[in-house]
Amino acid sequence: MMNMNRLIVFSRTFRIGQRLLGCHARHAGKEELRLQQRRSIKTHSRHLAYAKDLFLGQVNKAEVFPYPEIGNDELEEIKQLVAPVEKFFSDDVDSAKIDREATIPPETLQGLKDLGLFGIMIPEEYGGLGLSNTIYARLNEIIALDGSIAVTLAAHQAIGLKGILIAGNEAQKQKYLPKLASGEHIAAFCLTEPGSGSDAASIQTRATLSEDGKHYLINGSKIWISNGGMADIMTVFARTEVEVDGVKKDKISAFIVERAFGGITSGKPEDKLGIRGSNTCELSFDNVPVPVENVIGEIGGGFKIAMNILNSGRFSMGSSCAGMIKKLIELTSEYATTRKQFNKSLSEFGMIQEKFAMMALNAFVMESMAYLTSGMMDRPGIPDCSLEAAMVKVFSSEGGWICVSEALQVLGGLGYTKNYPFERFVRDCRILPIFEGTNEILRMYIALTGMQYAGKILTGKIKEMKKGNIGLAIGMVSKKLRASLGASVDLGLTGKDGVVHPSLEDSAKKLEQNVSLFGSTVESLLYRYGKTIVDEQLVLKRVADVLIHIYAMTAVLSRASRSISIGLRNHDHEVLLANTFCNDAFFKNNYWMVQLQKHSPENNDANIKKIAKQVLENRAYICSHPLERTY
Amino acid sequence: MKGSRCLHQLKSLRLLSHAGRLLPPAAGDNGALFRPRSSSQLGGLQCAQREVLRHFHSSPACTKGQPARFVQEEDKTRDKSLVTHDDLFEQVAKEAKTKATFNKVIDVYTKGDIRRRGHVEFIYAALKKMPEFGVEKDLTVYNKLLDVFPKEVFVPRNFIQRMFNHYPRQQECGVQVLEQMENYGIMPNIETKVLLVQIFGEKTHPMRKYQRIMYWFPKFKHVNPFPIPEQLPEDPVDLARFSLTRMANDWDAKVTVYQLPCTDVTESGAEVTLPHIVGIQSPGQMEALAKHNPDRPVFVEGPFPLWMRKTCVYYYVLRADPTPPEEKIEEPYDPERCLSYPLQLDLDLDRDLGDDESFDVEDLDEGPVFAMCMTSQGDQATLNQWISGLQESNPILGQIPTLFRLGAGPRELQGVGDADSASRSWFPSHVQREEAHPGEEAEAVVEEAEAVVEEAEAVVEEEPRRSQGVKQ
Repeated sequence: MMNMNRLIVFSRTFRIGQRLLGCHARHAGKEELRLQQRRSIKTHSRHLAYAKDLFLGQVNKAEVFPYPEIGNDELEEIKQLVAPVEKFFSDDVDSAKIDREATIPPETLQGLKDLGLFGIMIPEEYGGLGLSNTIYARLNEIIALDGSIAVTLAAHQAIGLKGILIAGNEAQKQKYLPKLASGEHIAAFCLTEPGSGSDAASIQTRATLSEDGKHYLINGSKIWISNGGMADIMTVFARTEVEVDGVKKDKISAFIVERAFGGITSGKPEDKLGIRGSNTCELSFDNVPVPVENVIGEIGGGFKIAMNILNSGRFSMGSSCAGMIKKLIELTSEYATTRKQFNKSLSEFGMIQEKFAMMALNAFVMESMAYLTSGMMDRPGIPDCSLEAAMVKVFSSEGGWICVSEALQVLGGLGYTKNYPFERFVRDCRILPIFEGTNEILRMYIALTGMQYAGKILTGKIKEMKKGNIGLAIGMVSKKLRASLGASVDLGLTGKDGVVHPSLEDSAKKLEQNVSLFGSTVESLLYRYGKTIVDEQLVLKRVADVLIHIYAMTAVLSRASRSISIGLRNHDHEVLLANTFCNDAFFKNNYWMVQLQKHSPENNDANIKKIAKQVLENRAYICSHPLERTY
Repeated sequence: MKGSRCLHQLKSLRLLSHAGRLLPPAAGDNGALFRPRSSSQLGGLQCAQREVLRHFHSSPACTKGQPARFVQEEDKTRDKSLVTHDDLFEQVAKEAKTKATFNKVIDVYTKGDIRRRGHVEFIYAALKKMPEFGVEKDLTVYNKLLDVFPKEVFVPRNFIQRMFNHYPRQQECGVQVLEQMENYGIMPNIETKVLLVQIFGEKTHPMRKYQRIMYWFPKFKHVNPFPIPEQLPEDPVDLARFSLTRMANDWDAKVTVYQLPCTDVTESGAEVTLPHIVGIQSPGQMEALAKHNPDRPVFVEGPFPLWMRKTCVYYYVLRADPTPPEEKIEEPYDPERCLSYPLQLDLDLDRDLGDDESFDVEDLDEGPVFAMCMTSQGDQATLNQWISGLQESNPILGQIPTLFRLGAGPRELQGVGDADSASRSWFPSHVQREEAHPGEEAEAVVEEAEAVVEEAEAVVEEEPRRSQGVKQ
């Protein structure tokens, strides 16, 4: 019986595999041809609106199926790159020491520079490695094993020099990138100010044109600048006066500032909870002369640059967290299998098993999301994957935090001591939901971007409905009725032109059901709140959560389908993980969407707001002590 | 549980002492009942006591006959019994009206007459005299007063008694004691309960009253979200600080003492008393003031009364007229404001009626209040000092014309007889009586605001009078 089943599955697998790969020849000799074919597929015009289309209840399956692949030569390259980096991190990086002494030793930094890790994404013509987002994500899996190094490198290349890379002109690139790529110069990104986080309007740092018109003089101070103490090149955002239609206005501009320009003082490094080895400090600019040719992009165009830099830097957190969790699983599973209690090893206890399953699930989902997103970003054109990247960031930073703390829990008291690395991981991990845009702000971004997109398309329909178009209303009602009666939703993931492997059919159905319900939920939210939905943060939070989980389901389904089809090692485990995750996410999504359909008094939102209001009015917990009495 | 245990203990103790007190003058055969009993036999004792007490007021006929004899006896021994209870208090009051003397009167009464004749009248008299002795808020005194009632006597013993109003006069009096406690906000304690049970028994009127008080008082204890302390600060500056903070109800509001009260002697020998000036302003108010259009005047208005318990203080506000609609500029939406997410959606859809949870309230723009102050001397010179103090942190005040619209200051103290007001008469800006209502004038001024500004009446003073460096 078992054998029969397996046989059937196998033959199915084969068929699907064929279908998925289409006409791709699997002969080594035809590798070239295959590459070309893929390229031709890649170049067709793209909307890149997978996540946005979900708001309309549509699955744009061409975007996410099949799971993005890299070429064999690229894979070879990765393997060659990864091995020495892995070796370096296991042999030469003493994370405990970095954490203790709150500094990365120069020889470690030198090692990183020698490996070329300071210029992973800088094109080869400027002396970098010129690697794709996917490989960058892969390398980050290893780099993330030390939080301090990961943050230092990220501040350098994910945001610090990104401005020059994406918006700088040729001369600027020629001048700065080579030294940045080699690590001779370290970059920093200076945006945050004491009175301004995401609020560009409260940026106080000002750049004024000097009398001769050759320099901008920058004055102001920036806080929480990663690498602030050691950076030689800084991307600084400052207010400049710009004339728009004859009216003088203040607009944000981006500048490349060298420390050598003078007038820059860095404050004492911040004493942080985690990522202690990374240098974070305040920078103050006192009449720093910046030549006009160091303006990135055009004057007054800093806002877009800042947004692009921030949006593009986030996707790698998924692979970083996955890398970290994979490492944690290795560390804790050894303990769990050797430690005995009541003549049983820890690994035999259900509650311990649950923790490991949870970690594996999270790592799997994060990985799937991260590489799906990086694959999308690597496609030609200028893909806008900011929504997807933000989702990866939110999911992985929160999942990472839970996993790290559960890993520590497996070891119990031992994990709490400094003898083991877990407490350090916990501390380091805590920064993830905070930096690169807090998760709260990213949730707003995710939900509102989609709402804006869906709103544009649905406005006409909703207006018709509000006017009392009976035909439309009947259509809506019947659709809802059909859905509630359990009519299956078919968005084309399975079946004849299906892209999901049959062993994942159930999960794919769940995804479809979620997507379709999400579409109608979004519609009803737009109907109910219109543009005032901006103020409904609790609603938006749920919208974002649902979307994140739908995207995660998509990623695991896509990945697992591919794995089965091409017969990757342990793909049955992937199927197991994918099905488990989809099951779980399906219920969560349904719960959230049911809440979204309710009004605030029913889904507790009104109560939550009221509680918070009373507490905040009094700036204290206001209940009487339970031991108090009145007579 | 604890209550009942306590009740039992107290009951038995009281019985013992009671019994002890009863012994000497009681008839020999009654006393004999007690002697052989030890205190450990409480149950038995109680029974015995009950019997004795029953005997105490056994048959009406008997009691009717007895008083005459007793009175005669009393007359022989003491003159005081002729004195009415009011006089008893009056006599003592000649020495001093304190808790100690009040207690003494009760003691004299309870010890003087073992039959407690006329105790109802005594208690009524005592209740009346309590405020005079300053013990109207003292729970122990109330308990002591209840203790005057003879115990067990009025407890109904059978269903008929229980059904009808047993000893109505006494019960009424007991209720009256509780009523007075209630009026003064005194919560009875377990001792009160024990006493009431001993005196009147369960489920009697005073007991019901007690239960009602115990039901409602705890519920009302914290009903005021802005409680005023029992003891208000004595120092006028502290009092001003307290009342301003209370009115502003803003955690960020900062109190500034612009001037402490002090007395100076000028060269000519005249004594000059400088009034205190205490002001309050929050960062939000400063922001609003900074945004105020300097062409439109701001007003100093007052005095307005603020009552706190029995104290009235007066305050002044710095305010402006509401901004006319044509001057209100809404900040245009800047799409480059937020780096992370769109602050507004570019949609042509409004909130659906079903989700519109706002109330339809008619908004009346009253105009902003920029700061408040309290001072002991509400003349323009003093208030000008406040404005100049404010100007230090709000430089824009130098450019805004400031108009003073002051009503007549608080009237002279009324009801000086009040003990409280006598002790505070040195603080002229608060009055102890309800009659003083200088706010009325002030309100009138507010109503006629526009007219007042134009006609420049006596109360209105233009800013140029203020001798300051910074001018418009």
